Amino acid sequence: MELLIKNGAVYDPVNGIAGDRADISIKDGKIVEKVSSGASVIDAGGRLVMAGGVDAHSHIAGAKVNLGRLMRPEDSRIGLKSRTKITRVYSGYTVPNVFAMGYRYAQMGYTTVFEAAQAIMKARHTHEELEEIPIIDKGALTLFGSNWPTMDYVREKNLDKLAAYVAWGLLASRGFGVKVVNPGGGEMWGFGKNVTSLDDVVPNFDVTPAQIIVSLMKANEMLRLPHSVHLHCNNLGKPGNYKTTLASMELAKQIKPAKDRQVLHVTHLTFNAWGGTNWGDFESKADEIANYLNNSDNVTTDMGQLIFGSATTMTADGPVQYANAKLLHAKWGNGDVELEDASGVVPIFYAKQISIHAIMWAIGLELALLTKDPYKVLLTTDHPNGGPFVNYPEVIALLMSNKKRQEEIKTLHEAVHKRTKIPGIERELDFNDIAIMTRAGPAKVLGLLDTKGHLGVGADADVAIYDIKPDQIDPSVEYAKIKSAFQSAAYTIKGGEVVVKDGQITATPMGRTFWVDATVPEEQTEIMMKDIRMKFKNYYSINLANYMVQDAYVTHPKVVKAGAIPVKVS
Amino acid sequence: MQTVTIKPRKEIRISVEAENISPDKFAGKTEKEILSMEAWMGNQKTTLGELFSVKVDGSGAAADTKIVMDGDFSRIKRIGEGMTAGLIMIKGNVDMHLGAKMSGGKISVTGNVDSWAGREMKGGELIIEGNAGYYLGAGYRGETCGMRGGKITVLGSALDFVGEHMCGGEIIVKGNTGILPGLSNNGGKIVIEGNTSRPGSEMAKGTIIVNGTVDEMMPVFKVEGTETIDGVTYRKYTGDVIVNGKGVLYVK
Amino acid sequence: MNVITDALCPFCGCLCDDITVVVEDNKIIEAKHACMLGSAKILGHCRLGGNNIETHHTIKEPMTRVDKNSNFKEVSYDEAINEAAEILAKSKRPLLYGWASASCEVHKKGLLLAEELGAIIDNTASVCHGPTGLATHEKGSPSATLGQIKNRADVIVFWGCNPVQAHPRHMGRYSSFARGFFSEKGRKGRKIIVLDVRKTDTAKMADEYVEIQQGSDYLVISALRAILSGHADVVPASVGGVLKDQLVKVVETLKTAKFGAIFFGMGLTQSKSRYKNIDNAVSLTFDLNSFTKFVITPMRGHYNVTGFNQVCTWETGFTTAVDFSRGLPYYNPGETAANDVLNRNEVDAAMVIAADAAAHFPANSVRRLAKMPLVQIDPHWSATTEIANVVIPTAICGIEVEGTAYRMDGVSLRLRKMIEPTHLTDEEVLERITQRVKELRGE
Repeated sequence: MELLIKNGAVYDPVNGIAGDRADISIKDGKIVEKVSSGASVIDAGGRLVMAGGVDAHSHIAGAKVNLGRLMRPEDSRIGLKSRTKITRVYSGYTVPNVFAMGYRYAQMGYTTVFEAAQAIMKARHTHEELEEIPIIDKGALTLFGSNWPTMDYVREKNLDKLAAYVAWGLLASRGFGVKVVNPGGGEMWGFGKNVTSLDDVVPNFDVTPAQIIVSLMKANEMLRLPHSVHLHCNNLGKPGNYKTTLASMELAKQIKPAKDRQVLHVTHLTFNAWGGTNWGDFESKADEIANYLNNSDNVTTDMGQLIFGSATTMTADGPVQYANAKLLHAKWGNGDVELEDASGVVPIFYAKQISIHAIMWAIGLELALLTKDPYKVLLTTDHPNGGPFVNYPEVIALLMSNKKRQEEIKTLHEAVHKRTKIPGIERELDFNDIAIMTRAGPAKVLGLLDTKGHLGVGADADVAIYDIKPDQIDPSVEYAKIKSAFQSAAYTIKGGEVVVKDGQITATPMGRTFWVDATVPEEQTEIMMKDIRMKFKNYYSINLANYMVQDAYVTHPKVVKAGAIPVKVS
Repeated sequence: MQTVTIKPRKEIRISVEAENISPDKFAGKTEKEILSMEAWMGNQKTTLGELFSVKVDGSGAAADTKIVMDGDFSRIKRIGEGMTAGLIMIKGNVDMHLGAKMSGGKISVTGNVDSWAGREMKGGELIIEGNAGYYLGAGYRGETCGMRGGKITVLGSALDFVGEHMCGGEIIVKGNTGILPGLSNNGGKIVIEGNTSRPGSEMAKGTIIVNGTVDEMMPVFKVEGTETIDGVTYRKYTGDVIVNGKGVLYVK
Repeated sequence: MNVITDALCPFCGCLCDDITVVVEDNKIIEAKHACMLGSAKILGHCRLGGNNIETHHTIKEPMTRVDKNSNFKEVSYDEAINEAAEILAKSKRPLLYGWASASCEVHKKGLLLAEELGAIIDNTASVCHGPTGLATHEKGSPSATLGQIKNRADVIVFWGCNPVQAHPRHMGRYSSFARGFFSEKGRKGRKIIVLDVRKTDTAKMADEYVEIQQGSDYLVISALRAILSGHADVVPASVGGVLKDQLVKVVETLKTAKFGAIFFGMGLTQSKSRYKNIDNAVSLTFDLNSFTKFVITPMRGHYNVTGFNQVCTWETGFTTAVDFSRGLPYYNPGETAANDVLNRNEVDAAMVIAADAAAHFPANSVRRLAKMPLVQIDPHWSATTEIANVVIPTAICGIEVEGTAYRMDGVSLRLRKMIEPTHLTDEEVLERITQRVKELRGE
């Protein structure tokens, strides 16, 4: 099957194309040099063409996402749509059902999305849902930050065993990368407690969060994993936590990347670039974080942008969620996973006239606008923590138009003037910057730049065409048009197939699931497995033989090889 | 002024969802237009005309529209849903969700209404001469607020969970209610002339007045002595203490 | 002889995964480690519990009958499936009920059929732990995997449940007697509190038994919460038949735990105030977390009743009792659950799968089912068979078919195939019905 997209205003930062008229040739799901005269043709007519969107951090599948749905029938009754000949039912706004999850991403021109956290023991559930999300390619990051084997090996300073455990854990969970959430805190939440700094000692395991982060970064690089360690910092949700965030970033300096990417991705900064000492003197410290990023090359971040209105917070950070539920008098979901981690789910409503929410809204934007290199700040809402992913077009419009920001600021709590820098920031991002923050950047951060995030020959034929003519629009003024164009792609092409036309789903192919198979010397795995077998015999409530995600749950795998011996990502 | 008269054409067993029966939807519409309006019976899409005879006199805006319904509507759900103005007068019984989410206007019913009458009501008035089912003036599952405004009067009795999650407005039940009226309410006023049981659990704000007997009191109220309202002396309680509630419960 | 280790027991919500099954000539001759209930099911004697041994037989062939008083006639799968599809496709208010003893793969096919038909789909939670879902909508669900409890809990509460009888291996594997990392002493290191209306076998083994007057659980929970929040002064001398002194003592035990776990059963979900009991118990758990760590977990009955709720939630946004009649998923138990619509005599045709509605529904609902065209899909002959028009036997999930099941704590595991099936699987039957319905509708 061949397809030619003619006459697009192409933004493909990886290949140095910034709005030039170019044709894109597609054959058998890949971008190729050229196609035959028999190819179908889409005339982009000078409209904006980008690679399919890539989301490196979103909560789209698994136990806590489903608990969010179960807790919120009042959310599920929003956004309902009947089935059609080709689509199943849609439901939900902050916690959409599996079908709406895939359709809505595709309708925005997104084709690849990564679930940001799964415990190994509950990975089967994650994959059951991923298997039912239509169209998009996906993958899931696996939690390692409070796992007993992790902490044992960190304490023993046995990096070989740690690397073997990480490799095995990725296999067991069919996971794509190493996620670390409030390291050590997941274990302490087992008894209702938490760590309060990078140097607190986790009782019974005798390790500190800093040691866990550093050791996992080392193991990650030993294994040459495509993605770096992906960190949700300690002290998230507490005023003054920007210091912990900076100190965590500083740890990355000890590590050399094994690949051309960061060694640490620090996620959803909206929740951990907080100054002040309490809710009264709460302020944004996004400028300090941006300043750090501007002077450092081994750390990347994402925004976790806040969207006013309804959201559902969900994270493996169990203790912060109990604190939230208490503070908000909200319903509370908690899901400790034995020997591994915690998790929590709490609904929230972000209001423009609440000072804390107004300041948080500013943080994501400040971070993106004060950091010079857009490769260092990915566009996310930490869906659905900051708000649902369907609001990415709103975020794009805010980043591209100071006028829109100023108009929004007028409607917010006055704290946004005194406690943030956003009112004075005039920078407006261009289409190239947006293409980086939503395509090239996430693909690079994930280590998937060979096939994702760009339109060069050999890339997956994932393409979005938006109803914008870049040479005829002033995003600074016409931000409403920008927003509506990004909400509803003129075309989304996934693996060479038109899946969306004029914002409507036209086909629902099954996407693939990326996971990483990291090679470790067999004897190393065997030594490590002795400990694992002991843990199953004595502590787990299931048998080892039933722990690993079976092949039946990953029917369209895309296995990325990694390991101590350099292997090219294929 | 527009008057729309609706009568059932046949006996109905499978419940019908007819949220189109509302002054807002009928205002300015002809008989023909109303007859062709959508309704659902089970999984079958049908029209109001299939189910009802409709007569229209005059024409007017929603506020000037009166719907007169005569007959058995005990399998017709969602009448007056979301209405903002006008009048619905029902001579007979009606099914669930009567006046759900209404924000203005008035609905009166001579018979009984099934559950969720006045669900998430914001304003307007609902007068029920017969009995009401469960969840009178309550919310949808999972929502933090049920009724926020307006007034519901039931001359008969109501079943469990009257005014659950109520955040405002007023409910008066002349007869008895089932268990747990005013559960988790956060405002508003509930008056129960008859008997009830377990009122005011988890109430944070709001007022509940019980003129009959309380079968079982929740063990979560502070006794605040007595207070006289309109010449009647009540025992006064405040709570629910568990949620540091500022709710007030008066029991005669 | 074939030995299968680490097999899952497809009986109760414990979903024990350490069963060793011995197979000879495609017959299971032994199920090591399984409890009496589990081994009875695995060995093929029965499906619904120890009481029914010898009374429940498998159905050999698909069967239909002209009316409910006639005898069944054995027919081909094609004929039975065609007739089932015709019944359902004609229906204006079809009900698809059951799903407890089936895998998640079956649930997915069922939800697709429900969408196609514009049906109401509901599972057995509707008559057991449905209230748990309703409470989760109100208050959430502070829970943990069972291993977390086994490794940490020093206080365990059983409220309105009797694991000794209903979940025989629960106490050994996950709760009272289980030993773990922080709980090496097992039972000796734990305090067990049982709250119930009668002194059950579980209660007899407790350190503290609190006898509650029938229907007063809600009041007792509120009293505990009031005492916990420092308002013992407002609590009367006796609540729900329990003396205040005992309540104060219980609160002291709960809040001084290092890790506490509450398990509850149908004694709480199906007694007066129903889901509000769970709602209140979740709040008690929430409140206790201001003092220490506490979690709460339902004692789900059938081995995969939880799985249906999971699948239904991720596919529709709602946990069960979903009405697709207008195309959109609509959820409102009290209006859209099986017994709600049966009681109102709205349903005009039904399919019961992987559950025995006739044995567990209120009499009025059963009478309704008996009068309408009824399709049963099940490996076993049951009370529902007696009132069905079309009976389609299927392979037994978790014994003859692989698939996914969710344990009571939401951990999913893969069911094993132990022997070769002799019948079509539920999945195949549902797929073929769906296909036939589409044909009948000209799609």
